[in-house]
Amino acid sequence: MKFEIAGLLTRPNRNEIALEVEDELCFHVEMLERKYLEQGMSPAEAKAAALRRFGDLEKYKRQCEQISRRNRGLRRVLKTLLILLGLGGLIIRLLSSDVHFDHLGDVLIMIAVAGRLLLYVRGLPPRNPECS
Amino acid sequence: MANQRTDLLQGTLELLILNTLARESMHGYGIVQRIHDAAEDLLKVEDGSLYPALYRMEERGWIKSEWGVSENNRRAKFYRLTRAGQKQLEAERANWKRVSKAVTKILQAT
Repeated sequence: MKFEIAGLLTRPNRNEIALEVEDELCFHVEMLERKYLEQGMSPAEAKAAALRRFGDLEKYKRQCEQISRRNRGLRRVLKTLLILLGLGGLIIRLLSSDVHFDHLGDVLIMIAVAGRLLLYVRGLPPRNPECS
Repeated sequence: MANQRTDLLQGTLELLILNTLARESMHGYGIVQRIHDAAEDLLKVEDGSLYPALYRMEERGWIKSEWGVSENNRRAKFYRLTRAGQKQLEAERANWKRVSKAVTKILQAT
């Protein structure tokens, strides 16, 4: 929980996202270059052919960065909300002397736990993969 | 052969990616190669167009990525299907069958 809250407080680094995207896309171009070199092209020809086949590298890089930033931002907001909800529930539970408020606290904690569980389960691999 | 290659229909790339990842987790380059090989080069897919699709699919929770090491010892990002992705694949397969059946019927009728 401590690490999670610390992680939520640090904003996603723009450069970090850009570097990750660039690393991933460059790996693809490198693999294509390698394939063309093995087919007997010169290094310059292989590079040109790889870039041609990949398409507009800058455009795809920009698109991926945008989606990645949006995705991380949304997840961060969602996780923060769930943590706040859980903490709110816990505080209500600890401080209230009224049974009705206790129930409200329980409901908030349950929503927070169920939300986190749902996020976790959605990310699990499928139960019956089609092939091994 | 080059002029006989067909552009992918909107949304089809996602179905192909999900289908490819149903077999095993792969990096982007592997996914494209698998699609090209299976289609015997008949489909016109710009390799780079795969990545925004992969990022969007991860945003929707259909796939999950993880950095790993490739076959040539290079850092690479591997994608795998999630349970939500498996459900999506089943839905998209069914939808594809419906659409292709409908189009075939129309073509036969005219």
